[in-house]
Amino acid sequence: MGPISLIALTLAALLFSAGGILVGKLFNKGSKNLQKGEAYECGIPTKTSPWHQFNVGYYLFALLFLIFDVELVFLYPWAVVVKKVGVTALVEIMVFIFILFMGFLYAHKKGALKWM
Amino acid sequence: MPINYYIFLSLTLFVIGIIGVLTRRNAIIIFMCIELMLNAVNLLLVAFSKMHYVTNVSKVTNAGSDGQLFVFFIMVVAAAEVAVGLSIIVMLFRNTHSVDVNFLNRLKH
Amino acid sequence: MNALIFSAVSGVIMMFSSFLLNNKNSVRVLAHVLLLATIIANIFELRGISFFHIDTRGMLEFDRFALLFTLVANVCTFAFFLLSSRDLEKIGNHYSDYFSLLFFILAGIVVSSSFKSLLMLFLGIEILSIPLYILTGSDKRNLKSNEASLKYFLMGSFSTGLMLMGIALIYGATGTFQTGITVAEKVPVLLITGMMLLLFSMSFKVSAAPFHFWTPDVYDGAPTVVTSFMATVVKAAGFIAFMRLFAEEFGSIRPEWKLLVGIVAAVTLFIGNITAVFQQSVKRMLAYSSISQAGFMMLAIYSLSNDAKEGLILYAAAYSLATIGIFAVLVRMKDYTFEGFNGFAKQQPFLAGILVVFLLSLAGIPLTAGFLSKFYMLKATIDGGSLALAIFAVLMAAVSVYYYFRLIQSMYFKTGNATISGTTTGFKYTLAALAGITILLGIFPNLLTNWLYF
Repeated sequence: MGPISLIALTLAALLFSAGGILVGKLFNKGSKNLQKGEAYECGIPTKTSPWHQFNVGYYLFALLFLIFDVELVFLYPWAVVVKKVGVTALVEIMVFIFILFMGFLYAHKKGALKWM
Repeated sequence: MPINYYIFLSLTLFVIGIIGVLTRRNAIIIFMCIELMLNAVNLLLVAFSKMHYVTNVSKVTNAGSDGQLFVFFIMVVAAAEVAVGLSIIVMLFRNTHSVDVNFLNRLKH
Repeated sequence: MNALIFSAVSGVIMMFSSFLLNNKNSVRVLAHVLLLATIIANIFELRGISFFHIDTRGMLEFDRFALLFTLVANVCTFAFFLLSSRDLEKIGNHYSDYFSLLFFILAGIVVSSSFKSLLMLFLGIEILSIPLYILTGSDKRNLKSNEASLKYFLMGSFSTGLMLMGIALIYGATGTFQTGITVAEKVPVLLITGMMLLLFSMSFKVSAAPFHFWTPDVYDGAPTVVTSFMATVVKAAGFIAFMRLFAEEFGSIRPEWKLLVGIVAAVTLFIGNITAVFQQSVKRMLAYSSISQAGFMMLAIYSLSNDAKEGLILYAAAYSLATIGIFAVLVRMKDYTFEGFNGFAKQQPFLAGILVVFLLSLAGIPLTAGFLSKFYMLKATIDGGSLALAIFAVLMAAVSVYYYFRLIQSMYFKTGNATISGTTTGFKYTLAALAGITILLGIFPNLLTNWLYF
């Protein structure tokens, strides 16, 4: 394992993505409509200008993601010492994850994760 | 590199943050400046942690590691603060349609 | 440790109580029961029985001072629950969440009053302030509450930034976060700078002048029930953390900060008392009065003796009980101005009498707990070597008598139609019990302070 593996990985990634596009091109039936060229196309025609006020509820997802994402930063120092400390570390991280889970459960129960 | 460089850099960032908090009027920008202050502290803590590691590693093998742990705590608490602060700003925006802090002078009698 | 774990778990239980229980009354009763359990667990620990054996690696130390203050804070919160929990529910729809936030604040109080490491100081102060930002803004439709919340949040996180910079500089100078530094003859510049930053940020948190400017606005804008909690228990907890920090971390470099703390105390006393005189609203007057009482509590940090420790605990109890009592009545009043209290004594002679006890205690009239706690502070200040500061404090206490007696004057000697609603018999008896405790502590302060030693 040297720099060779890194180069091989890069080549494999390039090949894989290029292959995907190529296969798509080959089997493309060539459907052409107006929505095809629009930005953020997802199957539904856009109705208004994209500079539209979002529902405040969407921020909730971002905030919840932020909290749970950043809390997991504690797993890094834990991962450094887990082998040395052993079972105690495992139990402690379980308690930690359980507390996080309680927060998640609360958010779910409050309906913060409902799509509006 | 001497530690002084790190201290100067992070104090500069910190003071930019303070000046931003004191002069800007947009709640979001004030908020970003506060984050800048916290991150200046993070930088300083990591630099000090390395400094203590280099000077004390012969006596204690994990010297200076507590400084880096502190950084994790600052990051997490800052995230919790961001969540609460942004919710407060969103709540305010719903009622006033503005995030300008000059606009908020109803409390002065 | 008991109180910390009990209050944190209670907070989590309260979070889910609104899904499990479907009426307001049972949620409220549950909150009372949980808090009572926390108090009992804390008393057990004060008697030497700890339910949990957790190695905190020297980051927390539950000594008698911390435990006793935790007890005082919990009991004051219990009084607050008994008097104002119905009003707390009226703020908004999420009534169980307010209780859970209060429990989290209590957990933060335990951490910040028993820290042994600057990391725990930071975490404790943050656990205590973040729920408060939310509670301040809990009246979501009210623009004043929104504004107070934003202001409090921005000021609070700004001062947190200062505190963190201070901690980082101290870490640079000493290489550890544990309190109890030892310094050679020459104190390093980094340490002095860090100490100054910590002094500023703690003054922000306890609203000592010249860092008090956010206080009146925030206290005025927050829902009155929340103000009652914020101005009492939380402020006292801030002082306990302040005192612990300066006694343990900076005790060895006392000459460097003593004068500065004395100046801060004097300025706080002056600004708080003089501005309170000009207020027309009782709520705003109480906000300024909390600043002036903070000035008195700063004297404890100035002198740092055993008397000061006892006095600070007594002060926290006396001030919190009296202010919680006054706020509990104020919440139920229709008009928050002084005129709104005109003729109150004619309509509610019993409540007016109790209010007088609380106001006398705040003003520091003998036979009340307020007098003795002020006395302890002054004694400690004189022993600490500053007669001038003590005399200045007495003068300012004399000024404070003016605005407290103004309320008594409008209750007893002016005619008007003060309107109060929702005074039940239980409410009256609880208030009477608080007044009883205030007088009892004023005669036998040892009932409380002896707990520090046995």
